[in-house]
Amino acid sequence: MVHSMKKNNFLTTLKEMPMSIWNSVFRNNLPHTDLGRSKTSFTNFFLHIHPVKVHKHTLKPWFTMGLGLISLFLFIILTVTGVLLMFYYVPSTTQAYDRMLDLRGSVAFGVFLRNMHRWAAHGMVAAVFLHMCRVFFTGSYKKPREFNWVIGVFLFLLTLFSSFTGYLLPWDQLAFWAITVGTAIAGYAPVVGEQMRFLLLGDTTVGQEALLRFYVLHIAVLPIVMFLLVAVHFWRIRKDGGLSRPEDADVVETPEVTAPASVPAPAMAMAAASGSSGIVVLEKKHYGIQGLVRGPFTKVGNVPENTVFSYPNLLLAELFVFVLTVAGVIIVSAYFNAPLEEPVNVMHPPNPAKAPWYFLGLQEQVSYSAFWGGVGVPAIEVLILLLVPYFDRGVKGVGKWFAKERLLANTLFMVFVVVNIILIIIGTFFRGQNWEFVSPF
Amino acid sequence: MSEKDNAHEVESSEPITRRKVLAWLTSMGILGSAIVSVFSNFVFIKPRATYGLPTRFSIGTPNDYPPGTRIALGKERVAIIREGEKMAAISITCTHLGCIVGVADTGFACPCHGSRFDQDGNVTGGPAPRPLPWYELSLAPNGELEVDKGKEITPGKWFTV
Repeated sequence: MVHSMKKNNFLTTLKEMPMSIWNSVFRNNLPHTDLGRSKTSFTNFFLHIHPVKVHKHTLKPWFTMGLGLISLFLFIILTVTGVLLMFYYVPSTTQAYDRMLDLRGSVAFGVFLRNMHRWAAHGMVAAVFLHMCRVFFTGSYKKPREFNWVIGVFLFLLTLFSSFTGYLLPWDQLAFWAITVGTAIAGYAPVVGEQMRFLLLGDTTVGQEALLRFYVLHIAVLPIVMFLLVAVHFWRIRKDGGLSRPEDADVVETPEVTAPASVPAPAMAMAAASGSSGIVVLEKKHYGIQGLVRGPFTKVGNVPENTVFSYPNLLLAELFVFVLTVAGVIIVSAYFNAPLEEPVNVMHPPNPAKAPWYFLGLQEQVSYSAFWGGVGVPAIEVLILLLVPYFDRGVKGVGKWFAKERLLANTLFMVFVVVNIILIIIGTFFRGQNWEFVSPF
Repeated sequence: MSEKDNAHEVESSEPITRRKVLAWLTSMGILGSAIVSVFSNFVFIKPRATYGLPTRFSIGTPNDYPPGTRIALGKERVAIIREGEKMAAISITCTHLGCIVGVADTGFACPCHGSRFDQDGNVTGGPAPRPLPWYELSLAPNGELEVDKGKEITPGKWFTV
């Protein structure tokens, strides 16, 4: 009797083992109740970056256009494809270029992975810049989000520096001359310029030492710094009360509405949402654990219920942006090959020697004056960008695209954007041999 | 405990306690160590020796360069010019941003940002801030010409073969 019971217990244990294991990994099943939906964000490591509930305004596709998310997903694509490419790459001046050719001939998916890495890098520069424009034009850098804007500016600079260090690695003509010019620009910086150039190159000219240094920066130093800053960037979104939104997004429509009554079903934001989004911080509202559960007794103060559960609303929006980003990179990579120029010829710079499009504005500036175009003006621009939230302290017009109250600030920023785009267009299409002005028509 | 601390702060004259001195010394010690470690990292990544070319090198005998020669030596990044019995070694690293300038009979032109120089390396157009430097050229005892990139000379100071 006792014996059989023991056996029975053991059998039961065995029978239940798969579920025991499953349940020890996943603490709750796919939720069907609001309590469950709350718990998803709490109990899953990968989801706990999300708030339990997210403001409906945050999910409006045309407010963020998902640009922050796109940047993040491109960063992830770059990390994955980058690590894969590292399996075949050797940072040596005699081998690097051959390894690029090997990707074509003898590595499965070699060209495709390199394409993905290159196009995702271009895309990330664009996405991060557009994300910055979005944050500016919606006035989202204002108190209390000033410091997150500053981190964002640093992330933009790191993105540029990552792509800069990345394109020396194929050791082709573009690589060599772009780095020659780029580090020469660094040499123009006052006082520390020459030292900085020497530290960067590890030599007086671009060569093996420079290749190794750029490799280390590209695959270790910069990604680690970026990863940390991205983490802080996301964390602060939560701590700063989620994404910015206009004041009227929280306004009580009629004073009589004291209970949440009927919350309209979450409008599925099927295009985009933001990086990670907000716990709603309302002055009169205090969340306890019971606040997670929707019901008449949890409301404190007369506030409308303008939030929806992150699971599934935010999560699906994020998934949508993710699929779109990956699909975009894959399609572009399937149709267009990443350029690979001639192997390095120290004697003959290509004529004209052009950097990738996002540095052509800088190259155009530099063609007028090396110091002002390459160091002076960019330094001033970055300084102004960093200090923008501390100059522009008005509280009006937050969370709205091109708010009337922010006409001056938006106009100034628009001029900055347009001037840089014009410089890029001139550098791309209107400059020919010896950097002479040519007409593309 | 914290109340006590607050009480101290309220008092106008804060007594210097042993605890405060120790805390201050500890902070300074940690801060100092941090600065030293950051600095030593820079010392570490600054190479003490480089593997580049020597600044002083031989370029062959004067007979290798007949009168009228304007030739660029790519590896050494220097142009050798001979007009009659006069010779000169002019840098072909653009003074703007370090591209290699092209050598033609009429002068030098940079493909990167459009700087232009005349036959003697003086700037005639573009963003280059300085003329191309001239390097010292000398005849070694074995009859070979030597260029010393470590020694810049005044432009126009030709070496007579």
